[in-house]
Amino acid sequence: MRHKLHRYIIFCSVVLCVTLCSVSAFAQEDTYLKVDAFGSLERPVSMFDHDAHNEKAMIEDCAECHHVYENGKLVEGESSEDRGCADCHTLKAQGNQPGLRMAYHKQCKSCHVEKKKGPVACGECHVKR
Amino acid sequence: MQDVYLLVSGPLAWAAWTIFVLGSIYKIWSTLNTAKQKDQVLLNYVSFKYGMRSIINWSIPFNTVNMRLHPLFTGVAFFFHIAFFALLIFVSAHQIMIEEGFGIGWFTIPDAVADIIAFAVIGACIFFGVRRVVRPEVSYVTDWTDFALLALVAAPFVTGVLAYHQLGDYLTMVILHMLSAELLLVAIPFTRLSHMLLAPLTRAYIGSEFGMVRHVKDW
Ligand code: HEC
Ligand code: HEC
Ligand code: HEC
Ligand code: HEC
Ligand code: HEM
Ligand code: HEM
Repeated sequence: MRHKLHRYIIFCSVVLCVTLCSVSAFAQEDTYLKVDAFGSLERPVSMFDHDAHNEKAMIEDCAECHHVYENGKLVEGESSEDRGCADCHTLKAQGNQPGLRMAYHKQCKSCHVEKKKGPVACGECHVKR
Repeated sequence: MQDVYLLVSGPLAWAAWTIFVLGSIYKIWSTLNTAKQKDQVLLNYVSFKYGMRSIINWSIPFNTVNMRLHPLFTGVAFFFHIAFFALLIFVSAHQIMIEEGFGIGWFTIPDAVADIIAFAVIGACIFFGVRRVVRPEVSYVTDWTDFALLALVAAPFVTGVLAYHQLGDYLTMVILHMLSAELLLVAIPFTRLSHMLLAPLTRAYIGSEFGMVRHVKDW
């Protein structure tokens, strides 16, 4: 009897641990903008909680960020949320298309400056943890 | 807070650099002008060849007799000056902001390396301060303004490191970093830090007099 209780307790703690770990792993994926294309990072990975951010900032149009360009012209009414920024933006700039780091910085900061809300200094996005 | 950051990183940075450049031109112009008024013949003695020869020789670490007499101060001073300009130009945050503002980019030093250099520069400033206290021949010509200037020089490094490590309130620290750096830029033409502008002039003059008139080396 005691033996069984013991195994039960161990089983329960293992399940609890796995659940807690995977919850925090999911939470991490949601709150930070992990980009593999940079390789090893210079700075702590930037804060960005996709859905919560867009809700709080009241952005309805996905194409504000997930844009589509054709021959250097923004295509209205089309969006590219099926692709990551890195699928088009290479690390180095190509003509008018900014490099990957610049693409993130320009898009994120220009809107924050325009709206007078949201982070603009390095460490507000690249928060140490 | 965002408004303050944008003000300090935008208009105030422009103002500081403008005052620094115009002030520097004025300082060099007024120094040459005073020299001309005080001593008409002085400028006739300045020769490009002997002036440059002296500047170059005084730019090589441990190349002069005086430097070899003070090896520790010379080593620290050379390190400090090189590190100052290296950090100003090659710290990644500086380069990234310039690239985003002006579209020009260049090589940067890794943040971890910049961090170590910044700590060493703070150490160098402490060394300069201690030297001004413990060496009688230096403390004799030292007053509080020397320490104030030294603190002003150290301030951008201290606040830069604190901001980078996100110690203390981050936005406050970045704003203090930029403000102290802008204050330092403005101070260069109008304080003893103007040695940055005048050192080449005095070297050129002394080099010319020693080379052309006395026919000896000045190093
Ligand atoms: C504030 C800018 C912004 C807005 C608005 C926005 N997104 Fe995103 N979204 C991003 C960023 C940044 C990423 C990460 C891209 C990457 O990994 O390079 C992303 C990633 C995604 C991804 C994963 C894509 C992938 O393959 O990595 C999906 C799906 C997505 N967004 C859907 C949407 C939808 C649907 C909307 C509109 C309701 C929307 N987004 C609005 C910025 C935005
Ligand atoms: C389908 C390919 C594609 C995807 C995906 C893409 N971009 Fe772009 N982006 C472009 C092209 C092409 C240009 C150049 C436009 C021009 O010629 O002016 C551009 C320009 C930009 C610019 C500069 C012009 C502007 O709008 O301010 C920024 C910033 C930018 N992209 C950010 C991003 C970000 C951030 C993402 C991911 C959320 C992203 N882009 C996803 C193709 C793409
Ligand atoms: C179209 C405008 C827009 C774009 C593009 C945008 N943001 Fe924002 N962001 C906002 C606004 C508005 C807020 C302020 C929301 C609030 O506090 O009400 C904000 C707030 C934030 C915050 C603080 C969130 C919080 O909970 O306080 C972070 C972090 C952030 N943005 C990151 C990013 C990143 C990273 C990007 C680029 C991938 C980005 N943003 C692109 C508009 C935008
Ligand atoms: C509005 C938010 C925001 C601000 C402000 C911001 N960044 Fe970023 N930065 C990002 C995002 C998003 C990425 C791409 C995801 C990542 O790697 O964090 C990025 C990527 C980077 C990268 C490439 C990835 C790496 O870590 O090597 C560097 C370097 C960087 N940022 C440095 C800076 C510096 C320096 C500043 C201040 C001058 C700054 N950032 C300000 C959002 C921001
Ligand atoms: C107008 C002038 C300046 C501006 C706008 C500016 C801006 C910045 C910013 C935004 C950072 C990044 C902070 C972070 O990482 O979160 C930084 C870091 C730093 N800056 Fe400046 N700066 C200026 C002048 C200077 C000067 C004159 C010096 C001294 C040479 C200096 C030395 C540093 C150092 C040492 C760091 C930290 C680097 C590290 O530890 O990795 N800055 N600066
Ligand atoms: C190219 C430009 C510069 C040149 C040629 C130069 C030259 C010199 C020289 C020759 C010395 C040694 C002085 C002595 O023997 O007592 C010195 C000292 C010093 N310089 Fe510069 N300098 C330059 C720029 C700067 C800048 C930009 C700063 C900081 C803002 C600076 C800060 C100092 C400090 C703190 C000392 C030590 C002073 C002390 O406490 O003794 N210099 N410099």
